[in-house]
Amino acid sequence: MGWESWIVDTLRRALAYGTPLLWGTLGEIYAERAGVVNLGVEGMMILGALSAFAVAQSTGNPWLGILAAAAVGGLSALIHAFFSITLRANQYVSGLALTIFGLGLSGLLGTSWVGISLRNPLPKATIPGLGDIPILGPALFRDHSYLTYIGLVLAAVLWFVLYKTRWGIVIRSVGESPSTADAMGINVFAVRYLCVVFGGVLAGVAGGFLSVEYRPSWTEGMTAGMGWIVIALTIFAAWDPLQAVGGVVLFGGLYHLAYRLQRWFPPEFLKLMPYAFAILVLAVAGLRKVRRGAPAALGLPYVRGQR
Amino acid sequence: MRKVILLSAVVLLLGLVTLGAEKIKAGFIYVGPIGDYGWTHAHDLARRIVDEKFDWLETVYVESVPEGQEGAIIDRLVAQGCNVIFTTSFGFMDGTLEAAMRYPDIIFAHCSGFKRYKNMATYMADFYQVYYLNGLMAGALTKSGKVGYVAAHPIPELKRHINAFTLGVREVNPDAEVHVRWIYSWYDPAAAKEATEALIAEGCDVFAFTEDSPTVVQVAAENGLPSFAHYSPMLKFAPDYVVSGQLVHWEKIYEDFLVKVHEGIYTTENLAHVDYWWTLPQGAVEMGADFGVPINPAWEDELKAYVVDHPVFGKISVYDLVMIRHSQFGDPGITFDPFQGPVYDRKGNLRIPDGTWPSYETLVTMQWAVEGVVGPWPGEPEE
Amino acid sequence: MKRIGPFVLERRLAPTRTAVLGYSLLAIVIALLLMSIIFWAYGVSPVKAYSAIGRTTLGTRFGLMEILRRTIPLLLCGVGLVIAFRAKFWNIGAEGQLLAGAVAATWVALFSGIPAPWKIPAMFLLGFAAGALWGIIPALLKVKLQVNDVISTLMMNYIMAYLVKWLIYGPWRGPSMRGFAYTDLFPRDAWLPLLAYSKVHWPTLLIGLVAAVTAALILSRTRLGYEIRVAGDSPDAAHYAGIGFLGVSVWVMLLSGGLAGLAGVGEVAGIHHRLLEPDHVSLGYGYTAIIVAWLARGSPMAAIITSLLFGLIFAAGDEIKVTLQMPFQITNVFNGMILFFLIGVEFLLYWRVRFVGKGKGWAGKAGS
Repeated sequence: MGWESWIVDTLRRALAYGTPLLWGTLGEIYAERAGVVNLGVEGMMILGALSAFAVAQSTGNPWLGILAAAAVGGLSALIHAFFSITLRANQYVSGLALTIFGLGLSGLLGTSWVGISLRNPLPKATIPGLGDIPILGPALFRDHSYLTYIGLVLAAVLWFVLYKTRWGIVIRSVGESPSTADAMGINVFAVRYLCVVFGGVLAGVAGGFLSVEYRPSWTEGMTAGMGWIVIALTIFAAWDPLQAVGGVVLFGGLYHLAYRLQRWFPPEFLKLMPYAFAILVLAVAGLRKVRRGAPAALGLPYVRGQR
Repeated sequence: MRKVILLSAVVLLLGLVTLGAEKIKAGFIYVGPIGDYGWTHAHDLARRIVDEKFDWLETVYVESVPEGQEGAIIDRLVAQGCNVIFTTSFGFMDGTLEAAMRYPDIIFAHCSGFKRYKNMATYMADFYQVYYLNGLMAGALTKSGKVGYVAAHPIPELKRHINAFTLGVREVNPDAEVHVRWIYSWYDPAAAKEATEALIAEGCDVFAFTEDSPTVVQVAAENGLPSFAHYSPMLKFAPDYVVSGQLVHWEKIYEDFLVKVHEGIYTTENLAHVDYWWTLPQGAVEMGADFGVPINPAWEDELKAYVVDHPVFGKISVYDLVMIRHSQFGDPGITFDPFQGPVYDRKGNLRIPDGTWPSYETLVTMQWAVEGVVGPWPGEPEE
Repeated sequence: MKRIGPFVLERRLAPTRTAVLGYSLLAIVIALLLMSIIFWAYGVSPVKAYSAIGRTTLGTRFGLMEILRRTIPLLLCGVGLVIAFRAKFWNIGAEGQLLAGAVAATWVALFSGIPAPWKIPAMFLLGFAAGALWGIIPALLKVKLQVNDVISTLMMNYIMAYLVKWLIYGPWRGPSMRGFAYTDLFPRDAWLPLLAYSKVHWPTLLIGLVAAVTAALILSRTRLGYEIRVAGDSPDAAHYAGIGFLGVSVWVMLLSGGLAGLAGVGEVAGIHHRLLEPDHVSLGYGYTAIIVAWLARGSPMAAIITSLLFGLIFAAGDEIKVTLQMPFQITNVFNGMILFFLIGVEFLLYWRVRFVGKGKGWAGKAGS
């Protein structure tokens, strides 16, 4: 097997496995940039997965399923937003509650959807022209899900918005110093609500991708911890949408390589490779004193009149 | 006088009948959720079948019981009035044994284990013959000479299955290889998907697996490659690409056991040597992509076209070979076993001598890999 | 102070203890009421459901023992996490630290050759050390290399889980286990004693209670405790007071990880008597302990109560599965709801809502 095909295959699988990670991470980045930690990603993803499958199977249209997933994700994020922003509850616990609740509810409601194969999964596409570039072409532009391409474009768009537009400045200032933003007339609550719900919408789509394209069917717990990886990747990406793409590709690639390399290395060590790598990269970044700071007000409820 | 005797005989008979007609409440303890479409799902399907079939039987079940917690669950089931308890995972073995000693009036049956007691039997439905048959077909269908196997955990049960599968593959295609990848989980669709993709990247073009979801089937089908269903009927997930598979009928065992308990044949005293090791001949397992579909008709022609020069049967198509072997398994006088000697492991050691059948012990504790298996094999013996 | 329509919200500085208790109970009652709806939707009479739970879980010795059994690891991990959270070190890694302790205990039991009367103390000592070690690594990474604690502790969980798998499938696979992925059964002198007719491994419970008291004393009476509290509440003040974060973080994670390690020893030496698949050992105790610790609001003594509460929920969940034949996900739904309501009433704890009607009582003052 030539090294070319190794690179192509690994990149391909990294993108495919990484698509739900990417969508989830992009959403969480925006929520956290506005200062709200949402540990409920796993719950939102799994609820999105169930709704996407149920709607896609009943209507025969996978895109409607994705839409449903987005809506459900946003709605569940609203719950977290209400508790953590309006009621000023502890964000970590509120998110955890959402995850636990989401896992339980989806398992409960999903029993009648188990073991059915989706009639009509999401289609894949190849980008003409770009698909023929050597090596990068087949890896990145051929035969991927629409959601993969959209996700990549979304990352670029979100990066642009965050760093180059006024909206981005608003969001970032809310996350860095909400009292200053408030004093400047920004409605901190509204911005936070919007970002958290946006994060939920993307997490829902991520879950929907799982049940409607990646593995077109529903089984309870099918997110299998992806939501936690998303949270880790958000930190790993230094809250930057473009670095998120890098992190997702790295993680997805290592995950896939863990199976390719089983021929030569003990499987258990290969499986822990992606997680050890994440710590390693962060440690190296720390050695080089790269600033990877979180938004200063992350995790703190904003109370007007308090510091 | 005759009337009196007749009457008393009838009364006696009625008494005997009602004596044996005690109600049975059976509790089933599962390690996974019944929605897993694999091991637990199959057990629960079987439970429902026997529950409906016998009106003297009432069943309850508890799902997703982690290993180590079965003791507490057994206590609750007994408090609820269960007089028979089935524990369906190897890890429940010691807990079941301990409970059997604590509750001498309750009948226990443990699946896939090896410890028994006077009121604790064991049972298992094993696939290795079916895997061999699937292997024959896989060997015929592979064009690249590489067959892929996505496996859960490196334990003897799976190793036995992979070995039987490989023996079948090599019988019709002596140079073919079976590439194995371990995902360390009974249920992990994402891992199964990535493992399958990795195998495809290696060049494998036919797939079998041990994982409780149709992921491998679907991934293979997306790439236009055939596969063999596992545990539950998966033909519907890829009607054009599932060639055959392994199916289970736990209800055959449950029915046999429960009827015998009901009739008083099995009691709380005589189970120490009751061990069901049921395979193809007893109908506990079935070869097929779906119930009643041993070989997908879409693939029949290709299998009939592949002809081998067989040391025993001469020139024969793989299709016919599968059919002959299948009937051989059903033969009460054992005429064939996939592991009949000589069998060498992939390091060259003779594991099963020429002219012998594999013993139960050999089958159940198998740690080695046969020739033709490529890939990691945790726990492979040094010599 | 904030005005919403005819209501005025006033911030309270700190809620009274009775308020905390009262409102928490209110939250639980609301969650129970909502659960009734779910029971009813499943065709199970809520009255029957709750009485079944009350009868067996709370009304029998068996039930109470089950609650205790579940409480033990929650208590140990919970106390450890209270300490960590006081220093604002987000230790999500209790699962991995628990497993580290389990591994150490297994080594002592099966491979160390330590003679009988010393085995169990050695298991606890080395289990604490292993958990502490696994916890110190993220602490050092945070202080020296600014590696985020949430991500490092979370990743360490996965890493430890795979290390355990490597052990049980490889070098530690028990020859007597016929190839299955378990270590051999521990010799009897490595089994923790149990309370009669139960599965409660009481030495671990005792250690947990002692740990709670000790932790409370450390936090309130010692210099280390002072440093932990200051570092957590006000990092700037800590800096000026010359409190080294290296010292505090390392100490905090040593204690937090060590206590989780003890929980692992208890599970493996008291319940399983062997090492097995990591998720069957840790069972999510490390994650549930996060909630236990948070609910305890920084008090290790309160963690005793909150860990009992979640022990009760675990035990009741089993009951629901078995007696009511309801799907097991119901416990997650319930846990999620209880959490939401508990944090919902948080709000009522810190904010006093006064009805002032139109115009009255609002003097336009900020703050109160």
